[in-house]
Amino acid sequence: EMHSQYERVGADVTMKCGSMDWDAAVTWTVNGTDIDESHLNGSYLILKNVNLTQTGPYSCYEGSSWHLKYQTYLRVGTPPKEPVLMCRSNNYPKGFYCSWHLPTPTYIPNSFNISVIHGTKEMVCEKDAVPKNRCHIRYLQLFSTVKYKVTLTVTNALGKNFTTLTFDEFAIVKPDPPESVVAKPVPNNPRRLEVSWQNPSSWPDPESFPLKFFLRYRPLILDQWQHVELSDGTSHTITDAYAGKEYIIQVAAKDNDIGTWSDWSVAVHATPWTEEPKHLTTEAQITETTSASTSSFMAPPTTKICDKGAMVGSGAVAVCWTAGLVVAAYSVLFI
Amino acid sequence: DSWGIFTFLCAALCNLPALPALNCSEELGPGQSIQQTYDLTRYLEHQLRTLAGTYLNYLGPPFNEPDFNPPRLARAERVPSATVDLDLWRGLTDNARLAANYRAYSRLLCYLRVLDGQVGTAELRHRLAHFCASLQGLVLSIGGVMSSLGYPLPAGPPAPPGAPLASNDFLKKMDDFWLLKELQTWLWRSAKDFNRLKKRVPPAVVTLRLEARGF
Repeated sequence: EMHSQYERVGADVTMKCGSMDWDAAVTWTVNGTDIDESHLNGSYLILKNVNLTQTGPYSCYEGSSWHLKYQTYLRVGTPPKEPVLMCRSNNYPKGFYCSWHLPTPTYIPNSFNISVIHGTKEMVCEKDAVPKNRCHIRYLQLFSTVKYKVTLTVTNALGKNFTTLTFDEFAIVKPDPPESVVAKPVPNNPRRLEVSWQNPSSWPDPESFPLKFFLRYRPLILDQWQHVELSDGTSHTITDAYAGKEYIIQVAAKDNDIGTWSDWSVAVHATPWTEEPKHLTTEAQITETTSASTSSFMAPPTTKICDKGAMVGSGAVAVCWTAGLVVAAYSVLFI
Repeated sequence: DSWGIFTFLCAALCNLPALPALNCSEELGPGQSIQQTYDLTRYLEHQLRTLAGTYLNYLGPPFNEPDFNPPRLARAERVPSATVDLDLWRGLTDNARLAANYRAYSRLLCYLRVLDGQVGTAELRHRLAHFCASLQGLVLSIGGVMSSLGYPLPAGPPAPPGAPLASNDFLKKMDDFWLLKELQTWLWRSAKDFNRLKKRVPPAVVTLRLEARGF
């Protein structure tokens, strides 16, 4: 029969060989390896100042017959330190979750017990399968004046510890970061980037509980971020980007009225549109257009001179008009 | 007799919310009024943070301790609580939603005004007076929204409840503590109430109302 024992790191451990007399002749092994007689006091095994490496199976055999007299599994560990507990509502107004961990490992099995008290009522926090060390609660009532008190107790064979959190319903609201952040250059606009994103999927009711957003962006080559706060909408156009520089962009979300900002979203990279070296091509196309008009009365096919996107920026408009006038002039001449 | 004075004060001070707010709201469509009311609740929430801090310090420990979490004593509810079942809250009609806010703030205003008459320091009196003025504005604003949507204003606040005034100093302070808590919670709730109303009031309503008045 394999016994089991737990001991603290640094403790002195005395193992008895079952019911054998103190002066009996025995051999102790650990993990199948004989232990030197210097560690024995009669038939007792003395381990001083135990450390983690001494965890393992210990066996005691009678001297001559080599009968197995006693077996025990020693686990060296520590009693739990005060656990770290965090509670958060990323799905307001549905409820909240709490998650916890130990600041340092104990090296032996621990069990956790969580209790949630709201006023005089005890609520049940349902443990999640994945991840472990997490449980969730559904709100029965909204806009409560009474605080929630969450107590987490951790117990193991060497001791126990606990921690408590007390909070208002509103204080723990923190959405997940926005999802599907996309940043695209805007054609023919060398200083613009179009950013769009979606509400985090964990936020159940953006209609009644709208989110506001915080956008930050900077060119990779600089350290200083620029910030924009947006009270609605899930898109924004940056209009002051440095031409030709790659940007890094992130978005965060917050309930419009309560709680704290989410963590930053995954970063996206984008570079504003840059004009391809087309100056020569543009003039050549005007010449082509006019010579085409001499042979046919048809308007030239849409060229890049007159892109719809090029309506912004006076330079592009001027080229557009010029081409149009030239075409019109030649067409009239040949009617 | 302090109870008699209390009754008199409350009755006198609480007749004000019955004023119709038509003068203000006729110029604004209900959509804009709702936005204004929402903005007012946010402003008041901000103001309350400073006011509550000062007032709780005036009450002294344990009321000004951040972890102070007393059980709710089984005393008569003076103010309708903001706490509500989630599905019930979602299902409120616009009228019911607005009326709940109107009633709550009318009564909260009433109690705050009584408080104003009792506090010791001049600074606190000044802050309370300023807050009461803003809260009065909120009540009128909500009234304005209700009128512009054609809803009747709820009847004025009922006579003060039968529960006797706090019998000792500590219980009185507890009452003040819960009054501030209730006010804070209502302001948080109102932001959500008005968010919902913002989405539900169609712009078309504005034109209809103007036509009805012969503009």
